[in-house]
Amino acid sequence: MPVRPISRRRFLKGTAQAGAAIAMGGAVTSFLEACSATPKASGAAASASGTVNVEIDEGQNASPFQWFNPDMKAKFGATTNIIGLPFVGQYEKIVAEMVTRSSIYDVLVFPPQMIGDFVSNGFLTPLADLGSESDFNLSDVLPAYRDPNLRRNGKLYAAAYDGDILQIAYRTDVFQAAGITQPPQTWDDFVSIAKELHKPPTQYGNAFLAQRGFCYAWFMNIFAALGGKWFTTDMKPAINTDQGVQALQTLVTLAQYAPPNILQIGYQELNEAYLNGSTAMVVQWDDLALKAEDPSQSKVVGKNAYAPCPVRNYMPYSRVMAVSAFSKNQANAYKVIQYMDSSEVSIKDVYDPKCGEDPFRLSHLDPTKVKDHLGNPSMPAAQAQSYVSAIKTCLTTGYPELSIPGAPRYLDILDLFVSEALAGSLTPTQALTQAANEWDSITTSLGQDSQVKAYADWVNTFHSAGITY
Amino acid sequence: MLTARQRRRSRWSGGRRFALLAVLPTTIILVALSIFPLLYSLGISFTDKQLLSLVPARFIGLGNYAELFQDSLFWSSLAVTAAFAASVLTVQLGVGLALALALHRLPRYQQFLATLLLIPSIISSSVASFQWRSLFDYSSGPLNFFLGALHLPLLTWTADPRLALPSLLLVDFWQWTPFVTLLLLAGLHALPAPVFEAARVDGSTGWQLLRYQTLPLLRRVIAITVILRLIGAFKVFDIIYVLTAGGPGSATESLAFYNYVQGFRYFSIGYSAAMSYVSVILVIVLARVILRYMERPVGRAAAPAPTAEAAA
Repeated sequence: MPVRPISRRRFLKGTAQAGAAIAMGGAVTSFLEACSATPKASGAAASASGTVNVEIDEGQNASPFQWFNPDMKAKFGATTNIIGLPFVGQYEKIVAEMVTRSSIYDVLVFPPQMIGDFVSNGFLTPLADLGSESDFNLSDVLPAYRDPNLRRNGKLYAAAYDGDILQIAYRTDVFQAAGITQPPQTWDDFVSIAKELHKPPTQYGNAFLAQRGFCYAWFMNIFAALGGKWFTTDMKPAINTDQGVQALQTLVTLAQYAPPNILQIGYQELNEAYLNGSTAMVVQWDDLALKAEDPSQSKVVGKNAYAPCPVRNYMPYSRVMAVSAFSKNQANAYKVIQYMDSSEVSIKDVYDPKCGEDPFRLSHLDPTKVKDHLGNPSMPAAQAQSYVSAIKTCLTTGYPELSIPGAPRYLDILDLFVSEALAGSLTPTQALTQAANEWDSITTSLGQDSQVKAYADWVNTFHSAGITY
Repeated sequence: MLTARQRRRSRWSGGRRFALLAVLPTTIILVALSIFPLLYSLGISFTDKQLLSLVPARFIGLGNYAELFQDSLFWSSLAVTAAFAASVLTVQLGVGLALALALHRLPRYQQFLATLLLIPSIISSSVASFQWRSLFDYSSGPLNFFLGALHLPLLTWTADPRLALPSLLLVDFWQWTPFVTLLLLAGLHALPAPVFEAARVDGSTGWQLLRYQTLPLLRRVIAITVILRLIGAFKVFDIIYVLTAGGPGSATESLAFYNYVQGFRYFSIGYSAAMSYVSVILVIVLARVILRYMERPVGRAAAPAPTAEAAA
């Protein structure tokens, strides 16, 4: 086929026009994106749709959104579409989307440790911009899960979805057989009991989450009991103190009285270690109790009691719900959050053994309400009494998880070095010294002054909530 | 004699113009998607850019590179990557070659077995890693079941700092040795038969054939195979992410995994970019060394080629 010749001038002209068109297209796209990303916005009115995209860690915690889809459809004409992210790795995946101002998520469900980064980078829309704070019955939310988790700079950015706290679950039959009359009151007690009950391979003294990703929380649980703090007021790391070393040494010791694959034990494995009857006591998130009394999941139904951890109870993770600043469906996203957070709906999932949500409202703390989402009792009355009573006590001694800007990074570094100590690669002193050095670098890179202020503000929210720190 | 205007016009006429127009789309895509990001990331590697920091990025010259060489986690991740590379150069290549030679000699079922060998390589690494996670499970995994049946102590495959890396190497071996085998088998098929016939006529033993004919003639295929797998060793990520998350401690944190942690978990973009460039430079240097080694004259081994042609 003959090629039709074109002159150089015409070619250059055509190329210039095409280039200009591309540049204009880019500019227009950027402009449109900027408009659509304007908070409150424009977004909600522009393209409200009946489907609300909900980002959440995949698995059991997403179930309540699906259970209540028909009711949400009937009440305000919207349903949810779950976008599940892995439990470990959720932070980076959310950030990777949000820095590109992606509108893929309408509702973000995440642990409060991330809220500092999300607010300071403009990823969230204040809830009051879309409605009213009174929509969330905040006086019924337990203080530990309220302002420290939901507010930043005085504004309400999130609503509670899950209230997490660590507690002890132990086997009453094993304790009785060994003549032990009460759960451990100190960490020395805990170690002694674990040692006494450790009879491998049929029975292990204790278990905890030692896999990389969350093992820092079990260190913090002991560190808190010894009076440890995250930082000094001028943001010097306070983990590499005598209390820190003692706490980490205690955790290393406890690993000796645990299943041999302790370094492989994550959330599911820890549940299994207890539910299959091979472990005498565990420190785990409080929802383990619901599973332990569910015959479809547990071999130890009716043989359990629950107790607060010695002295303090660390509050790792939890979940809150917020509206993405880049959502194009903010009005419906707000309605979904309001619905799921309400006392009437949340009580149906915080005691359901098929999901991992835990009580976060004062109205939840009633043993007669320990039922699944269909209204069936989740456990016998005696166990329900023990379970709710333990949660109440735990909350009075709750110890807050860090949620200042950069918190996920501080926690990941701590996790790495706790894991190094558990693996025997470093001594507790070496591990915590290295972690503290890395923390200093993080603080410097994020800005020393802004971090000092953020930490002080965060500590104040706990003091205001009546929590000792 | 052509005037200047005619010369300019002739440069834009006919086939030349068409050729330029034909390569233009590819060039634009290449520049936009490869060259520009490459140069941009090089620029970023000289800054302290943090994606989520409110502090603006500053130019710090070679600061990231200097910090990298003082970073103990960088060195430990490099050691993990070196273990993967060493496994490629020794075990995978050795076993792959042995399997390829064995298959090459098979009179029947060669294609069928070669097809079977493809299976591990075509499974996604993430999927394969989840399968291996079940196999490695301490209490319900089949590997420990067999150890128990043989009255041997059960192993904490990925939970023991001393065993975790060998366990990952085992998965990598399972998945990629067949690929090495197939590449080498293809190379063996391409070797000139008359060379071997002549050598046999001259009374060469099997070992002599392997040592002085097969391996020298196969050198380029071996070089390409090693380079491909070396790049794979530097990129290894998914099996670590699924099986150990870099743990216990940092026992299985490879260079690619550590780079991911810095870049996408901590969002230290400048530092991560610097680490990427160090990885690229390392791979290029290693590939160059391997190619030079494979291309060097090998005395008696270099001789067979002309002999083969003569024999043909």
